[in-house]
Amino acid sequence: MLRPASLQEASDALAAASTSGRTLRIGETLLTDRLNRVLQHEAGDLTCTVEAGIRLSELRAVLAPHGQRLSLDPPGDPTVGACLAASLSGPLRHRFGGPRDLVLGVTLVLGDGTVANAGGTVVKNVAGYDLGKLVCGSRGTLALIARVSLRLHPVQSAAATLVVETGDAAGVAHALLRSQLQPSALDVLHPGRVLVLFEGVEPAVDAQLAAARALVGGAAGDEDAWAESRERQGAALGRLRFAPRDLRNTLSTLREAIVRPAVGVAYVPNRVGGVPPAGVRRLERGLKAAFDPAGALA
Amino acid sequence: MSLPPDLIGELETQVGPEHVIVEPEQLRVYDCDGLTGWRATPSAVVLPASTGEVQGVLRACSRASVPWVARGAGTGLSGGALPVAEGIVIALTRMDAILEVDLGSQRVVVQPGVTNLDVTRAVEADGFFYAPDPSSQQVCTIGGNVAENSGGAHCLKNGFTVNHVTGLTLVLPDGEAVELGGRSLDADGPDLLGVVVGSEGTLGIVTEITLRVLRTPEAVTTMLAAFHSLDAAGSACSRVISSGITPAAIEMMDRLTIEAAEQAFRPGYPEGAGSVLLVELDGVTAQVEHDARAVEALCRELGAFDVRVAQDAEERRLLWLGRKGAFPAMGRISPDYYVQDGVVPRTRLPEVLRRIEELSAERGLRVGNVFHAGDGNLHPLVLYDAAAGETERAKDLADAILEACLDAGGSLTGEHGIGVDKVCAMPGMFSERDLEVFTRLRAVFDPAGLANPGKVLPTPRLCGEVPGPFRLHPLERMGVAERF
Repeated sequence: MLRPASLQEASDALAAASTSGRTLRIGETLLTDRLNRVLQHEAGDLTCTVEAGIRLSELRAVLAPHGQRLSLDPPGDPTVGACLAASLSGPLRHRFGGPRDLVLGVTLVLGDGTVANAGGTVVKNVAGYDLGKLVCGSRGTLALIARVSLRLHPVQSAAATLVVETGDAAGVAHALLRSQLQPSALDVLHPGRVLVLFEGVEPAVDAQLAAARALVGGAAGDEDAWAESRERQGAALGRLRFAPRDLRNTLSTLREAIVRPAVGVAYVPNRVGGVPPAGVRRLERGLKAAFDPAGALA
Repeated sequence: MSLPPDLIGELETQVGPEHVIVEPEQLRVYDCDGLTGWRATPSAVVLPASTGEVQGVLRACSRASVPWVARGAGTGLSGGALPVAEGIVIALTRMDAILEVDLGSQRVVVQPGVTNLDVTRAVEADGFFYAPDPSSQQVCTIGGNVAENSGGAHCLKNGFTVNHVTGLTLVLPDGEAVELGGRSLDADGPDLLGVVVGSEGTLGIVTEITLRVLRTPEAVTTMLAAFHSLDAAGSACSRVISSGITPAAIEMMDRLTIEAAEQAFRPGYPEGAGSVLLVELDGVTAQVEHDARAVEALCRELGAFDVRVAQDAEERRLLWLGRKGAFPAMGRISPDYYVQDGVVPRTRLPEVLRRIEELSAERGLRVGNVFHAGDGNLHPLVLYDAAAGETERAKDLADAILEACLDAGGSLTGEHGIGVDKVCAMPGMFSERDLEVFTRLRAVFDPAGLANPGKVLPTPRLCGEVPGPFRLHPLERMGVAERF
């Protein structure tokens, strides 16, 4: 088991594996737990740069005293690198996007040991190819994600949860999405429940909660409801995609699921098959050959 | 004019003879984009009308090994659509259909030649809008926006083009069409869509684009704060952001651009202002009202001597008038100007603005600053007179400003793209190894190198054999990361 503690060691490990024909699997035979420092947190810029082996809980502890957060709340306590590699997100995905929307720049160690930077540390930047997005969802097959620069958000002073028990979750979700309310999260805990999170200053949170109740009913809930949503998402084996307008039909085919209606994603108990289109597979094979020519990454 | 003899005939078969241009006078229409200092006349221009025709054209180019440049409205500011003389231009302007408005999914499916503003026009009656708003939005096309990952004043809160594209049909340089993403987000596998958006037409041609549209906010408040100095406005901007407020937009103008705007459009900005900050807040009413009070208080605390709040749509239009007309207004006070697009961390704005002032004084050329302050994206306008032989000096000054941005840990470009304009500056931001990895990625999509050659990545032919002055990665400069 390899546990590099620096870019140099990570690069050496992958270069050696490439030369010797060995295959490493990130998270199993190649661990990033020693690459876990916060390299920079510029509070005034709402950005930070971390080594990708840092866990979300560790990063949260660094950011919280500054009233800031990384708006990623997937189940469990994965590393930042895992969030990117597996495209992990939680309820906050609704408003703040997934890892690909929050990454500003990366330092990668390609399968052949090459170290490459892309993007930067500023919030707006179109120079060069956006490899930080490319590796999102790549499941560690192209490169070890070594460092990540991230966009942060301010923690709002107030928050409130609305829980709507309903036999028509699709109707409730669509009514909320069609309104001018701006929830931070909107989950369907199928069957039977819709959760809505409002964040902001207290009067605005109160006003949104009242307006939402007038629109779809429901009662105030708390953090436990979100914990349940995350837990059930974490236990799900499959991720199903659908066009948001097909929410009702999608729900009618599922026994249980955690659903993000605006994202068009349902986390379901069973594995979901599906092979990407031939053209996509061809590009993925090409990228693998270009970034990891010896197949050092499983 | 050295196309293989059969190619024109084949292109005519693909798109119809009336949609292939070879007349020299007509070709000249396509010889530059918004960066008019660079020109090249293509050997032919083709105007395909469908994904199938684009595939046919690219297959023909691939067989004949002829390079091509895709083009939308030609409003780009980095020469991304500059033709190659020995190749063809593929103009997507005929592909201007809105294919589907799917409000149930909050998506709109368009062809690449649809203008940015037409997306909003298609959904605004139903209470939706398309968020990215480059200042050329009346004419620039979605295809071009996808190529450049276009931003705009209101991207501060809502994100850039890449955050609003959920699906693409991409025709690869060999003619194969690939579907990326769809109406849902978070497709499995590497985020190919995320790397194609912003790739400046070097990975293929997008022929169908699925966009996310957003619900029109309940409340909008626009305010203008006038300061005596640029420094004070810069500090106010930093403070607003770090206080936890996310405005829809924060724009800044300096004395020179205010004066130019007053001469041209008379927006009636406060007299004696050394700079103005234009702040727009949107969202739910109670939040907007709270934030507006907080922003006003912060601005006054940091030296704003006048704060105006637009009471209605007409007043909002007037406040924006000077900002939106700032570039054309510059034409009134200077025969020529050159726009830069560097980015700096927001907290470094005041010091970089001071540095630009020093550089301007050193080189004896005026620089106007009008920019997206909220995300640190500068648009310094270097004023010069080409007829007086000032072009070289202007270019030098612009380069020095970009260096100052990189020294502050920023980027060469926030929204205009690298194109041909900044291609030789790339080694200042990326190492040779970074660039080599970019080259690998490009070759996966375009092994023959026919897609928009000479853009984005420096070549010895364009930039000479000697690499530019490489600057350390921002983290290395801070001493928190080792060179590698």
